[in-house]
Amino acid sequence: MDLMSIQNFSVDQRVSDVSLTLQQGEVLGLIGPNGAGKSTLLNAIAGLLDSSGEIELSGQNINQLSRAERARKVALQPQFVESVWALSVHDIVSMGRLPWGDSDQKIIQRVMQQANIQGFAQRHVNELSGGERARVWLARVLANQPRVLLVDEPVANLDIHYQQEVMQILVDYANEGHTVIIAIHDLSLAARYCDRLCLLHQGKQIKTGKVEAVLKSQVLSPVFNVDVYVDLQNSPPVVLAQ
Amino acid sequence: MSLLSVTLASLSFGTIDLNAFTGLMDWFAESDSREALIVGEIRLPRTLLALIVGAAMGLSGAALQGLFRNPLVDPGLIGTSQGAALGAALVFYFNLFSSLGALATPVAGLIGAAITLFLLMGLSGSMARPAIIIMAGLAISSLASALLAVVLNFAPNPYAMQELVFWMLGSVSNRGLDNLAILLPAFVLGSVVIYRQRRLLLGLSLGDQVADSMGLEVVKRGRYIVLGTALLVGSSVAIAGNIGFVGLVIPHLIRPLVKYRPDRLLVPSALAGATVVCLADILVRLLPPERELKLGVLTALVGAPFFVWLIWKERQRWI
Repeated sequence: MDLMSIQNFSVDQRVSDVSLTLQQGEVLGLIGPNGAGKSTLLNAIAGLLDSSGEIELSGQNINQLSRAERARKVALQPQFVESVWALSVHDIVSMGRLPWGDSDQKIIQRVMQQANIQGFAQRHVNELSGGERARVWLARVLANQPRVLLVDEPVANLDIHYQQEVMQILVDYANEGHTVIIAIHDLSLAARYCDRLCLLHQGKQIKTGKVEAVLKSQVLSPVFNVDVYVDLQNSPPVVLAQ
Repeated sequence: MSLLSVTLASLSFGTIDLNAFTGLMDWFAESDSREALIVGEIRLPRTLLALIVGAAMGLSGAALQGLFRNPLVDPGLIGTSQGAALGAALVFYFNLFSSLGALATPVAGLIGAAITLFLLMGLSGSMARPAIIIMAGLAISSLASALLAVVLNFAPNPYAMQELVFWMLGSVSNRGLDNLAILLPAFVLGSVVIYRQRRLLLGLSLGDQVADSMGLEVVKRGRYIVLGTALLVGSSVAIAGNIGFVGLVIPHLIRPLVKYRPDRLLVPSALAGATVVCLADILVRLLPPERELKLGVLTALVGAPFFVWLIWKERQRWI
């Protein structure tokens, strides 16, 4: 059975008629130009926006779940996060347990290890570098242990080392039997780390499928309005504007 | 511990020297010794009011700062206290809600506080940047003050006006124990309502998008915090007038001690607020008695420079 199935999903004028099915262990990349509706789609799947259509989670309609149950199963890491207060890294990661109402130290310690942040667990998050902070935000959603993890632009503003590290953490999480949906601008990274891609343009689903099927010059060029160079045989794969 | 010693000190200090403990015991034994009368009828109400009002102000400051994610929020700075004062003043003059008897003023205070808080939320929007909240608060505070000025302007006689002005300056003196019958339930109810939403305050540290995605129902639960704060501020202001800046200063001092956790800030802020206001009231009593310095004036004298310092320290964040 599919882990999550999204049918005829629309969010007022911004996203229309999107249908997706997601399997356990899968990383799905949402790609498309700025304003294509990637963030809107993620926010709506997380239940933050009014939407029409149907979402089923392991065969159950998601609207039948309470807000807390839904939050335990589907977690969102928004593109921009900031801590207002100078909270410690450990406290931020513990917040991932808020939907569960516990502070399971075993899970918290494990995800801090996965995100490689246990070295500065007691530091204030506001003192960390951008790359360190990105991993702290990620550990926060991982601590929630959602079945479906939604991540909005996790590698924007990161150097190439941290980009790799963050993407690998997400792939590892999917491999534990979860599903990860990532909105991502970097098409080369999408080619390398995602199992399938969904190309959005002006709120519409242009093409969904295996990486090779979506990342084709003739598919991407009209959408991005620029000639796109694609070499998926290269290691790592390369997708760039010409 | 410090709360207890301050309470004892508050019962002991005054123009007349006496043994507070004997006085209290006599009062409980319903003896009518001089000690019993002074401690039981004058100092005990004053002390208890100072403690509760202080706790209410410290707690509502901590709750509002967490809700609006802004360390510069204080019931007195964003118009909540003015709204409560306006509500209470209208009751004085126009005898509104007369069927409620002694409850009329606190209820009107609560309604005034709630209206200003909901106005603030509407005006600043849910995703508001910190500076917007302060500006919106200033606008609402100005509006409430203007309406209050209208009420003062049309005071039926100079005595009524003087009474209203003195009450607004903020004080816990010359108030009977019967006030507690209103203040205490409002305080307990408001505190419980706020304390139950402490997880929302923690979640909001990362913004309302994150809090909402964690299933914390920001809008609905945020309203509970507003209502709880309105209960605390409305009842306190209706009875003791405006004891300003406690809600600003106390959470700020406590925050580093609780590792900046907005959920763990609530109870310590209430305790510290109670201690500080009670101490301030002792100080007021130790000053020359001819022209008593009002408690609210003292807290403002200390708190306002603190506010200036806070802006100075935090200004980098606003640019």
